[in-house]
Amino acid sequence: MSGKSGASEISLKQSLRKIEYPSSAKDALNKIVDLICGRITSIKNMDLALDLMAEFVFLEIDRRGHKRGFPLTPLIELQLIELLYEYFNNMSNESARNTVFLSIFSGTTAIMRLGVLTKLVSVAIAIPSATILSSASAWMQQLGNTSQNSCKLAEGLIQDYFYFYNPNTSSINLVPSISPQFTANFLTAVTENYFNFTKRECIFPPKVLMESVTTWVSENPGLCIAAQQKQAVLPPGAIAMEATTPIAGLLRWTVLAPINKQDSQVYGDLHLALLNSIIEIPKVTPPKAIYAQHLTGPINPILSYVNDLRNKQELKLDQILNEDNLQLALDRYAQAIQVIYSVNAVYGHVDDLFHQLKLLPFNKLMSIVISTYKKNKVIIL
Amino acid sequence: MEIDLEISDEDYVIQRAKDSFKSNPVAAKAWVLTAKTLYPNNFAVQFEAYQIEKDAGHIKEAAKCFSDLITSFQQSPDLWKEIEKVTAALRAESDSQDVEKQFLCEMFRHISSEVQHKLLLFTADHCEDTMEHCRLLLLLLQRFPTAISSNVLRLVDTLMSAEKHSIDGHFPVNPYRKLLVCDLLPLLANEPTKLELSSKMLHKLLQKAIEFYLCYLGLNTSTIQDSDTKIEDPWGKLFGVLEFIGKQLNWEPYLTNFTTNWSKESYWQKIITFCQSKSKGYPLEDKQLLFCLSVFFVHCLFEYNASLIPESSPGQTPTTYMMVEAFSDSNLPSLIAETKSKKRKSDADVFTTPSVTVEKPELKNIQSNFMICMNCWDLLNSSENLQREFIKLNAHLKLDLILSGFVIDYALYKNLYDEALMFLHKITDTTLLAQKYLRITGILYVKKNYSSCLEPILLALPLLPTNNVGSLSNNLIIGGNQKHLHYLPLTRMAILQYLVKVLLRCVRENMAKHSYSELSIGHTFVLSQLDWPQEEDFIPPLLEQIQQHRSFQYHNFQNYIINVDILEEITYLWTSQGGQIQLDILPHLGQRRIGTRGADKGVKEEIKQAIRRQIARSNERVDELLVNFILNERAQILQTLV
Repeated sequence: MSGKSGASEISLKQSLRKIEYPSSAKDALNKIVDLICGRITSIKNMDLALDLMAEFVFLEIDRRGHKRGFPLTPLIELQLIELLYEYFNNMSNESARNTVFLSIFSGTTAIMRLGVLTKLVSVAIAIPSATILSSASAWMQQLGNTSQNSCKLAEGLIQDYFYFYNPNTSSINLVPSISPQFTANFLTAVTENYFNFTKRECIFPPKVLMESVTTWVSENPGLCIAAQQKQAVLPPGAIAMEATTPIAGLLRWTVLAPINKQDSQVYGDLHLALLNSIIEIPKVTPPKAIYAQHLTGPINPILSYVNDLRNKQELKLDQILNEDNLQLALDRYAQAIQVIYSVNAVYGHVDDLFHQLKLLPFNKLMSIVISTYKKNKVIIL
Repeated sequence: MEIDLEISDEDYVIQRAKDSFKSNPVAAKAWVLTAKTLYPNNFAVQFEAYQIEKDAGHIKEAAKCFSDLITSFQQSPDLWKEIEKVTAALRAESDSQDVEKQFLCEMFRHISSEVQHKLLLFTADHCEDTMEHCRLLLLLLQRFPTAISSNVLRLVDTLMSAEKHSIDGHFPVNPYRKLLVCDLLPLLANEPTKLELSSKMLHKLLQKAIEFYLCYLGLNTSTIQDSDTKIEDPWGKLFGVLEFIGKQLNWEPYLTNFTTNWSKESYWQKIITFCQSKSKGYPLEDKQLLFCLSVFFVHCLFEYNASLIPESSPGQTPTTYMMVEAFSDSNLPSLIAETKSKKRKSDADVFTTPSVTVEKPELKNIQSNFMICMNCWDLLNSSENLQREFIKLNAHLKLDLILSGFVIDYALYKNLYDEALMFLHKITDTTLLAQKYLRITGILYVKKNYSSCLEPILLALPLLPTNNVGSLSNNLIIGGNQKHLHYLPLTRMAILQYLVKVLLRCVRENMAKHSYSELSIGHTFVLSQLDWPQEEDFIPPLLEQIQQHRSFQYHNFQNYIINVDILEEITYLWTSQGGQIQLDILPHLGQRRIGTRGADKGVKEEIKQAIRRQIARSNERVDELLVNFILNERAQILQTLV
């Protein structure tokens, strides 16, 4: 049995080797679908599929299984992207499409193939293809939309659309209506790339990106939770990962903007748009829109800002407390906490969150919000 | 940034929102949002949040705040004041001057329809003034057709009972009825779905609508133009109601279709079709024929009545036309009889169908209007059931006034003279008295009650119109034998002409009772002068009679005979060629014989002079002469009528 299948494997590869690229890649993809989406899937079939991807689709290994030491030529890469686009765009079975998409771009080879993936998604935004964007959304979600791969993808797309083109006229602004799920996951990934003080160098979003994000969120209050509203169809047996909404990440931006010299009005606009989106979050039990731990993001940056004021600029305590930028940051922070809490959209260790908030410098609204929380807790108890 | 520690938490948050509105409205909205979530049960905060958004002109945000308020704080007086403002603004939506009103209307549009519905319903329920309550409910139904099914019955009931208890409720054109008929019913008519209203209720609604429009149509036009009660195309609207009710009750669509190519004639055909198709097994409780026929009949009746008073050119007194029993003369060529006999020669109807004539061709519509009214009336009275139902309906509609003229015309047409007289004797309206006596005169003449004719004539003469002189009618006599009815213009000349003609015929026809009545002959001469030479034919037989009796005494000669032709004829009788008839026409000459011999030369000369004097008067106004004659010589005239 195994010998027979081993023989057929070899003859399959040999016949594919006789065909020229990209036809060979196309035939390989068809075979891959059969192997991993068939009724009987086995480790063996999966291995063969992975072999076929590496040798015939991405040309990562040669016929003897040795790694090729050089990247794809631009022409081959172009042919490959065109092939993948046509292939996925025409695949109407969502489950099969996502299965193939995930197995091609996940696992150990994920990082190697990220460049091709980024270009493929970029093309899917430009043309556009809702089909491919939905698979890309499922991919981000299954890998974690704040995972390194997702963030890299987001970064690549931002490079394409916010640095190389004028976003006002580009198709990126249509993406929220073409695929709200993809946009939500994309936004979540994007939030990790900016105002991120855990990184070696903290960078801030370019103005054009801020404007686009603000417009998207303002015009569509449901956008932030879109990925949670509609679950992608996954391979049989796969465990669906809950999408993280971009709300906590974007709030981190708007809260920290004043104390990072990001005083553009667009941050105020985005902040209001977020509050309006939060108010609209449908009530679900248990809540799932925002994780309490994610909301603690601004605390450390604020505390270190206060430290800087104290140590580097040698301000006195009352000067620090009355510092406009700090108070604006705290006002926005308190507003967000209050609105989120009022709609019961937060899950996780909420007590812990409020405990940490108490560590912040005094702000009248924050103190009101905290005491309201306590009062309500007493009532509930 | 100053933080006042004295201030309460609520006030602090609100204050921050207010402070930032001018400098940074976006930040202010964030503050409002925060305040609202912090104090969801605090009316002052919620209301303040609303006020802030309203003052800032943020429509969407204000709408959101307002919705929250309505859902949570219905009992607050401040909120009620605001709600009243909103509903007031909604009703004055066209008022584009008021900025606040415009804002509130715009805001209302941004409220979810569920809350809009709630708002209007609450307001209506909260409202103590019934009219206001009804207006609000109507507003609700106008904006939320989905609310119609659950609220329509309540609104109808309220309107009907409110009308009953209001001061002017006995009068169908009242504000409640207007709301019901002119606003609510058209709204319901636009509903594509069938309403859950009982057929009894639908009949009642239709009856209320008919009553309203008929009463409105009967109103004095000056009172209508004064107020905002003016209604465009009331008949079109009433037909619209009929169509709506018909649809609800599954009536025959063709009976309630008044739109495409509608004409009275075609609709009458449809009624005929309906009657023919439904003759057997037609359920009595089905009122479609009753209502359709009644409304149609009254419509035709209005048109008939209107056609009797055609519009006059500006500055002229409008002339009313009235059906009178006119005259026919078998010696004259009969055009109508000829055309009719061609159609159906052997039919006895040719002689019993009266000829109805009008003064001029442009008045022909009077005839057709009358015929269609008569057809309707016959149909309404054709079955006991229909008749009974119409009487019931009429008890509500109070059609008697607009029917009053027609029923007499109908009676005249159908030779129901006693019935006609009964209707006529009921008339007490002083403006209609001349018409009343005119018609009585005609009927008494037809009934050959000659001696009674004089009285109504004497009563009518002082009532002759002074502001509408008019002229003599040319159509009072037609050729043939058939009964002749004519629409007489009610002008001074035409009325007088008619009265004189009747009196002339009374005198003439009564003459047979007496062997040789010189008085009757003299009166005939006098009376025939008005419509000369129409009445010329009366003269030759009389001259023959005089010739046979060789003498003619008539002492009114000097006073009333001025017609040259008649004078010539009489003078001729007096000459030797004419037979030397003795003329006793000068009262002061007494019984002296007037001959041609020399002895009476003086007398002869006097008669000559007298005749010359009369000829000289021939240009005098004959109408005044005859009025004087009838009024002054009533006793002498009566002698010839008994």
